[in-house]
Amino acid sequence: MRPIAIRIFHWVNLIVLWGLIGSGLQIYNANPVFGGRQGWHIPGAFLLGGWLGGARNWHFTLMWFFGLNLLAYGLYILFSRRWQHYFVQQKDIKALAQSQNLQRRQFAWHRIVYTIAIPLLLLSLISGISMYQPSQFHWLARSFGSWQNLRTIHFLAVPVLISLVIVHGTIASNIGNGVLLRSMFAIKSTSNS
Amino acid sequence: MSTEDKKFTRRQILRWVGGGLLFNATGTVLYDPIGRLIRPVNDRLGEAMLSQRLIPEIDLGDHVDLGKLIVNSFDGTPKIDLANFRLQVTGQVNKPLNLSMEDIRRLPYESQITQHVCVEGWAAIVQWGGVKLSDILQVAGVKSTARYVYFTSADGYYESWDLASAQHPQTLLAYQKNDAPLPPENGAPLRLASPIKLGYKLSKWVTAVTVTDKLMTKRGYWEDQGYDWFASI
Repeated sequence: MRPIAIRIFHWVNLIVLWGLIGSGLQIYNANPVFGGRQGWHIPGAFLLGGWLGGARNWHFTLMWFFGLNLLAYGLYILFSRRWQHYFVQQKDIKALAQSQNLQRRQFAWHRIVYTIAIPLLLLSLISGISMYQPSQFHWLARSFGSWQNLRTIHFLAVPVLISLVIVHGTIASNIGNGVLLRSMFAIKSTSNS
Repeated sequence: MSTEDKKFTRRQILRWVGGGLLFNATGTVLYDPIGRLIRPVNDRLGEAMLSQRLIPEIDLGDHVDLGKLIVNSFDGTPKIDLANFRLQVTGQVNKPLNLSMEDIRRLPYESQITQHVCVEGWAAIVQWGGVKLSDILQVAGVKSTARYVYFTSADGYYESWDLASAQHPQTLLAYQKNDAPLPPENGAPLRLASPIKLGYKLSKWVTAVTVTDKLMTKRGYWEDQGYDWFASI
């Protein structure tokens, strides 16, 4: 099994991101980023909250779990020194260029994908804080250039993070025929894991 | 176990997506209790972040144009008899006021270019001109027991604010927008404008300002339907 801290991080992220996407898209529907009120609306099955106010309740509840989870993860990789050897390194790039070993190449891709995940998760958090408090955090919000840029970047977190989860999950499930993925989401230790 | 069993199967993926959609359906039913839990927490956060410091104005220098406000009102634009218009300032004040637009225009003029942010997700950069609400409150003399300010509008819209936000130096009662007299659909003759609150806090067609020591059960047209009360931005 993976370390408990990393398993919790993955579980919380998976559930909270799903909820943030559903409530975020419900908020989006109040005034679509592309095209305004006449723009294309997201179908109801994928939405969370029922209406704008309900979606805001969920979005601004889950943002705490998302942010604190990311913070706890950051502290964990800092103090466990995982940051020194856990993320993508020169040798992974070299392996992709030179190695014929399928397992080694898979592992290199795996590290690239989850390393990219970190800045993407941070960007969705920062763009979210900027939209939530554009006056109190004016220095942050204005660094995005314009409100439309900010909205677009925050919205793009949805397709980007969904793609990332699919790619990350697919690669992980190929490593050791699913053993890695199972061990990441294992809730309790079982004899065959 | 064969190796195929160990990988994620289509069936497992469908199970996860199904679980996700069920999560959405359940969560949607629970939007109200979740809101009752979280809104006081986030209101507290907004209160903690509030200071009387100025939010820097938007620099119109390079590419920024004054934006267009989408007109939202719950009951159309009310007809207001401008000649007989009065702004009432009452409640926990030493000297209740009954001001005409002439009286209000005689108070110091303030202009600011700030971002108006709507709860729906759009925003517009607007030049607002008018009088600081804090100047009016100062003339009326707010009592030491005062903690909240209520705004009543000609169309029946109502809002309540914390006193500190109402006294913020950029909270205006505006009678001018984008270098022209405030248009009727944007709240003429007098509306709230401020860079520290979401648009639904910025009442249009304001006719009465009531200072209170308590928050009443009715806290605002939208707040009573489930929007957050502090609505800091």
